[in-house]
Amino acid sequence: MSARRRKDFFELMRDYFKDWETLADELLESMIMERPSWDLESCCLEPLCSVFVSVDEVVVTADLPNIDPKTIEVKAISANMIEIKAGMKRKIRFHDFGITHREGEFTSFRCQVHIPVPVDMKKMKILFKRGILEVRIPRKKGYRIKVK
Amino acid sequence: MSEAIRIVEKQSIPSKAIMLHGLPDVGLVGLIATSYIISELDLAEIAHVDTDLMPPIIVLHEGLPHAPLRIFGNNRLVAVISEVAIPANSVHAIMRALIDWGLSKNVKMVLSVGGLPIENRQDLKEPKVFGAASNKELIGLLQEQGLEILREGYMVGPQALTMRYCAEKEIPAIAFLAQSYYNYPDPEAAAAAIREVAKITGFKIDVTQLLQRGEEIRLRARDIMKRTQKELTQMKKSQEYDVPYVS
Repeated sequence: MSARRRKDFFELMRDYFKDWETLADELLESMIMERPSWDLESCCLEPLCSVFVSVDEVVVTADLPNIDPKTIEVKAISANMIEIKAGMKRKIRFHDFGITHREGEFTSFRCQVHIPVPVDMKKMKILFKRGILEVRIPRKKGYRIKVK
Repeated sequence: MSEAIRIVEKQSIPSKAIMLHGLPDVGLVGLIATSYIISELDLAEIAHVDTDLMPPIIVLHEGLPHAPLRIFGNNRLVAVISEVAIPANSVHAIMRALIDWGLSKNVKMVLSVGGLPIENRQDLKEPKVFGAASNKELIGLLQEQGLEILREGYMVGPQALTMRYCAEKEIPAIAFLAQSYYNYPDPEAAAAAIREVAKITGFKIDVTQLLQRGEEIRLRARDIMKRTQKELTQMKKSQEYDVPYVS
């Protein structure tokens, strides 16, 4: 059997920080109550969403299957939050997924997405292609410092 | 095989079969593709994985309990799927156990299906499929079939470990990676991957139904996609975008 190598200081520190990181993640998750991806009261499903921040803009995408593109609504509800809504082509019921112990039907998708950096909401551009909604919002420009 | 992971066989397992892995990963490409193959080839459940390393979950189908990580098969194919995301801190042990089990059953080859996330996915009508293999002969075979090889880069997650452990144990292995969304279920990418799997294996699988049911699949797969995404973040999946330093 080979002798186990002792960890050096940096490896020990890395393990220590990794443990803390895992603990912090677990603590955060335990504090936030998980909720379902649907809301029976508003008959809405929550779509899968992503936020990508580039140098010039924030790109929000959402997967919107089974929707009527004409019903898509995207609006800024605050300086750092947008709301996405879209009506479905046909109602979806729990029964459609084979779930018989819950009652309820869904007629639209709806979600609110937090924008993590300052943006110019008035210049928001929206595109819907192949079932994916893409919202592009330019980032607010700061001021330029002259290079000497 | 690790004591913490037991593969419970329901019937005798064929020898010299092809083993196919379709575990939750980017775009759920592997899971969607492998579930569809299981359904199209009418494969029966032949085994399941019993382990405390998975969350305490059972999946009910027709009122009966099933383990989320199951193996289906016939005389020629054994296919592994999971109906829940594989926890990041269990993925090594689980993949090692699956490969060891495959080796004990004399599988002749291991194929794994997954996604290759690209930014402009919605601009692509036909996602391209890339291949990686555990030895040079298989790379040659993939090239003969017209598959582009993933030459340099990182692989992260269940597929990466399948390749690593298969190479270690000298089991021939091929990874099929279809261009896909990162965190949206991608049935079109799964269909593209199935076409390539069919070319290599000779299985006849018509993907028409899969493409027709694309919207329904995307609706049904939202929750598992969300949970898979969390695990992929923990696995540092984004490292697949990195450029390797040593070439």
